Amino acid sequence: MKANSLALLAPALGSLLLAAPSLAHHAFSAEFDINKPLTLTGTVTKIEWQNPHTWFYIDVTGQDGEVANWGLEMASPNLLMRAGWSRDSMQTGDVVTVEAFHAKNGKNIANAKTVTLKATGQVVFTGSRSGRAR
Amino acid sequence: MNALRAVAAAALFVASGAAAQWERVANRNVPLGATGEPNLEAPAPRTADGKPDLSGVWLPESDLELEVSVEHMPLPRYFVNVVADLAPEDVPMQPWAAELFEERLAKGGTDSPLAYCKPTGVPMVVTAPLPYKIVQTPELIVILYEENTEFRQIFLDGRKTVEDPLPRWMGYSTGRWDGDTLIVETTGFTDQSWLDGMGHPHTDRLRVTERYRRAKVRELFVDVTIDDPGAYTAPISYTVKSNLLADEDLLEYFCTENEKDIEHYE
Repeated sequence: MKANSLALLAPALGSLLLAAPSLAHHAFSAEFDINKPLTLTGTVTKIEWQNPHTWFYIDVTGQDGEVANWGLEMASPNLLMRAGWSRDSMQTGDVVTVEAFHAKNGKNIANAKTVTLKATGQVVFTGSRSGRAR
Repeated sequence: MNALRAVAAAALFVASGAAAQWERVANRNVPLGATGEPNLEAPAPRTADGKPDLSGVWLPESDLELEVSVEHMPLPRYFVNVVADLAPEDVPMQPWAAELFEERLAKGGTDSPLAYCKPTGVPMVVTAPLPYKIVQTPELIVILYEENTEFRQIFLDGRKTVEDPLPRWMGYSTGRWDGDTLIVETTGFTDQSWLDGMGHPHTDRLRVTERYRRAKVRELFVDVTIDDPGAYTAPISYTVKSNLLADEDLLEYFCTENEKDIEHYE
């Protein structure tokens, strides 16, 4: 990069945000679009508490009454466990509201930013202090 | 890089020990203070042969100034970028390496070895944001990395670095003590790994020198020097700070267990 001009600095910094490894596995931007945030509410159908990322699935009923199943990615269970969460913090059948970023491929896949249990209002699986381990 | 905005942090949350669902076991190597709590400010313990005892579970410190993730966890500075301290025009990269680096950036990380669950490799694993455990004996130091469940052997029995090893992701490491500093030399690398998350490349001529320094119980510093005349015109150096996790232990981490991101790439 020594041969490059300073003009490349700005795009290089932009790429830093986009290309940086996410949670030691893959780059966020390789899969998800930070410009496509969405909010989903649905019933948890399945939880995969496994590395390299925890995935859970929810049935979301659309305005037309059609039910679509969405897959949502979170951090690794190792990180979630160290932040105080367990595989029981959310359970199949729970109704949750998820703030997420849509996959670039347009399928029903997203990266979950926050997960809120409808029954209690508790924000689960977050690293911030807005959530408390069950 | 200093212009990057700060990001809300949770890595310290990880390191500070929130409640977990398994029982914590205190590291018996950690001295206790008058109140029975770990005395993290005490001088580093020493082994029977008088060397600083590096044993323990460690976590590389994240850089809260780096905004690199929309998720909840900031990352260690040099895990993202080994030349984070240099102005772009000062990075001593050879033209072919700079071209390859730009290609990797343009692909947005879709060809990162980690995305395909390949090993993290040295030196990147030294600053990976998951705990690692040092097991120290007089003639052999073993480092167990939670990251991809990798391990290293560092031979202190006087052997020389092998001249022509099978290319390895972790390299072949020999070590020696210089006073209270453990100096580790590693060669014999494959050229398949990336030096960092951004994709700085290297060749099989890579030589990594690490200097492990532990003055206090609390922290471990590793001065890393990357010397690869195949890709760079000068060595690159940085220091990784790790904090002791006094009552933590390693967890299992197999990336292949449930990898499903690649199939979602565009």
